[in-house]
Amino acid sequence: MAESGDRAREEFLSEAQEIVEGLGRDLLALDEGLRANRLDPSLINDVFRAVHTLKGLAGLFGATRMASLSHELEELLDKLRLGKVDLTAGVLDLLFRSVQLYGLILQAEKEGRDQVIPQVDELVRELNRNGGGSAAQAAQAPSRYELDPSLLAVLTEYEEHRLRANIAQGLRLYRLRVQFQLATIDQALDELKAMAKPHGEIITYLPTGAGADADSIELDILMASAVGTEDLRHALASGGVDLEEIPRRAGAAGGGGGASAGSGAESVRIPIHTPLPPSGLGVPSLAPPSRHDEISAGPKGDLGTLRSVAQTVRVDIHKLDRLMNIVGELSIVRTSMARLVERLRAERLERDLAADVHRLQRTFERHLGAMQQGILEVRMVPLGQVFDKLARVVRQISREADKQVNLVITGAETEVDKLIVEELSDPLMHMMRNAIDHGIESRSEREAVGKPALGTIALNAFQKGNHVVIEIEDDGRGIDTTRLLEASVRRGVISADDARAISRSEVLNLIFIPGVSTKGEVSETSGRGVGMDVVKTNIGKLGGVIDVQSEQGIGTKMTVTLPITLAIISALVVLVEDRLFAVPLANVQEAVVLDPAAVRVIDGREVVTLRGSTLQLCRLARLFELESQASQPTTNGWPSNSGTGAPGSANPDFRPASRTSSSRQYVVVTAVGARRLGLVVGTLVGEQDVVIKALGPSLKGVRGFAGASELGDQRIALVIDAPSLVDELHAPGGERVRPMIASRGSHG
Amino acid sequence: MANLARRAGSPAGLRRARPHDRGPRTEYLAFVLAGDVYAAPVSFVREILKPPPLTPVPRAPHAIMGIVSVRGQLVTVVDLRRRLRLAEPVPTRRARILLADASGGETLGLFVDEVLQVYRLSESEKEPAAAALGGDVAPYIEGIARPSLGSGLAAGGRRSVEGRTDDESQISVVILLDLRAVLGFS
Repeated sequence: MAESGDRAREEFLSEAQEIVEGLGRDLLALDEGLRANRLDPSLINDVFRAVHTLKGLAGLFGATRMASLSHELEELLDKLRLGKVDLTAGVLDLLFRSVQLYGLILQAEKEGRDQVIPQVDELVRELNRNGGGSAAQAAQAPSRYELDPSLLAVLTEYEEHRLRANIAQGLRLYRLRVQFQLATIDQALDELKAMAKPHGEIITYLPTGAGADADSIELDILMASAVGTEDLRHALASGGVDLEEIPRRAGAAGGGGGASAGSGAESVRIPIHTPLPPSGLGVPSLAPPSRHDEISAGPKGDLGTLRSVAQTVRVDIHKLDRLMNIVGELSIVRTSMARLVERLRAERLERDLAADVHRLQRTFERHLGAMQQGILEVRMVPLGQVFDKLARVVRQISREADKQVNLVITGAETEVDKLIVEELSDPLMHMMRNAIDHGIESRSEREAVGKPALGTIALNAFQKGNHVVIEIEDDGRGIDTTRLLEASVRRGVISADDARAISRSEVLNLIFIPGVSTKGEVSETSGRGVGMDVVKTNIGKLGGVIDVQSEQGIGTKMTVTLPITLAIISALVVLVEDRLFAVPLANVQEAVVLDPAAVRVIDGREVVTLRGSTLQLCRLARLFELESQASQPTTNGWPSNSGTGAPGSANPDFRPASRTSSSRQYVVVTAVGARRLGLVVGTLVGEQDVVIKALGPSLKGVRGFAGASELGDQRIALVIDAPSLVDELHAPGGERVRPMIASRGSHG
Repeated sequence: MANLARRAGSPAGLRRARPHDRGPRTEYLAFVLAGDVYAAPVSFVREILKPPPLTPVPRAPHAIMGIVSVRGQLVTVVDLRRRLRLAEPVPTRRARILLADASGGETLGLFVDEVLQVYRLSESEKEPAAAALGGDVAPYIEGIARPSLGSGLAAGGRRSVEGRTDDESQISVVILLDLRAVLGFS
């Protein structure tokens, strides 16, 4: 019992969360509309409905803070709908704040905290105060048009407001008469609405009481449009619409007839008589009153969400994680099984049996692959989820900083693992804040250098192979590399000697070093990098990398490259001095045989030339200090009689036959963003799907590994963290040929 | 794969307390590190394992031997001898890994040369470290114990957990370890 209650509550929280996210999106659209001076009344309606639903949900689950906030918001939104309050940037601010507060409330509800959230009360008070706000409503009486008073009498307050608003804009009014089949009216009406939307606004629709037969219904639709009669008729031609413009009355100054009728008559449903030419017999209304209610999507009817819910299932991400873990275990089973099958086939005894098992194993493999793919797909969500949040932040920050910023988003539909999206929002938020705070110059500054006053930040996302790339690009002042370098030398991050030889991109990467970026002159003068090291660490935790490009006076571009999923990866398993390592294939460009004669040493770094470009090498055996152990059968005196062989390597299957005969080595070319690094390894063992498991907290400070993976038979391969190795070896004044010791701080 | 919980269920179960033993007694698991006998509260030790294949982790702190997989979970193995700066004799067949719940929710493997037995020690059998050794004792040494013959739980001829051949009486002094302090990595 309690459990089902919990589940319902969980459902409530996630549904509310979803609505709040939708609310945020609608507000952004409103904001855009407001700035373009083109308000879409249906958006206000959507916002109103969302808040209304939230209020209902809150009431159902006893979330009083949410209920009271929703109530006040609803009041305000109702006034907005009815034109009693004008939508201004200030009002929008209130609404945006409410989205943020909903988030706080939901968090508190989730954690079962009951105490008062002061910001909520504050906003509620402000909303109350704002309720008194008024709108300059042009009292454009509908009576200037040849409208039937009985029609006006049944308009809801909202419809009347929309009618007035449209008249105030000097639009033409049309009456559309359409026949609908009762069975399909919902759908057909939606289609007609969609068709009409680009040309104007449908204010109301009422049944005429006539219909061709018992199964159909005729509606009179009142529409406002700027388009001429013929054009509109043409636009709606496919809808089977009988269209007529409602003429203006000649001597307009009518009394308040229509207006006064509106409010009082809400509840009175007069049988409708239309002034249009009679379209047949005066058959009594076929549509029961209830149908009328349902069609006129008034503020009360809010059944629209029920239908969509049936199509989707909300799933806790942890359940998917569990499923994914099981799939991971199954892939280990699969690998062990494959090895077993190989052995069976080599036996040559039971050939038929071996063949059967082999077939079975292949089928298993295929289905497992499909299952894995399926679960991965379920975990995928569009980046738009986090981009919407960013857009809100941009709006907020740019208003706070009094800078006008135009955010251009592309690729919001790009899909990434849900977990990554969750973890991404903070780093991206931070970068966005930096771009506005420090990147984009003030208005006057921009105008002085001949830039458009409106700053632009581009937020782009796209898929690139197994990766998703997210770019944040601003057209601001860029990073002052000279000062950045000076400050870095002053802080002892790099030596003066290194500073002289450093390349431009290496200088830019200094912003990610903690000492440089967190405080002091650099962040103030270069204006960038507050906590960029944290951003980098967080992105790194997701297996991603961040690159920075900047041109002084032109702008800065941050590029984040992320894997699409974290759960299961394909990896290249390699041997280094008898130890197994896995390199994620996503980071592997190619693997080639190392030609020792081709190795050159430049500035203390070993390089080879590969396909015309220089590739820095990293000898893993040396980096990991495994070299001396090559000749020893076991390391650190592990019991050799335990039956499991030497640690790390263990199984003879994995020992290449050629290993002893030649000292051939391979270069695994890893690419991380734009940077490449050649990992020198002993042997390529093969490709395998692996589940990466994190190393325990006591190994947190160890750089260079993204985790470890079981390969079956309890053998474990450490998974190489290519991004961190690339960083380490590309670092200014970084590791040279001399034996390496992990001496630098642990910001990896 | 010796599971303490399972042992407890066996007839000569380690946890089976004889009625007159009730009182302020604590169970300690005794093990050998570099030839000396140490003990730690049994409540810390979740499981005793024969060492599975171990994967060393390059660049890890000195006391960390590497990682092992225990039923699909990665466990970091700490060499207690190295941690306590003792000699490191070549491991034998008797080497074991104790799974212990360290602070922070991490499960650590503790490498020991040999597991001996469980003692139920009363307060009178324990000497606080400061009293026995003076004030300047390493913080991870909780005290010294001189278990009486009766306090070994594997009583009645069954000498010890792993069939150690020494006579119990030979174990005169047991160093009691505060595992939390031992595992508090700096």
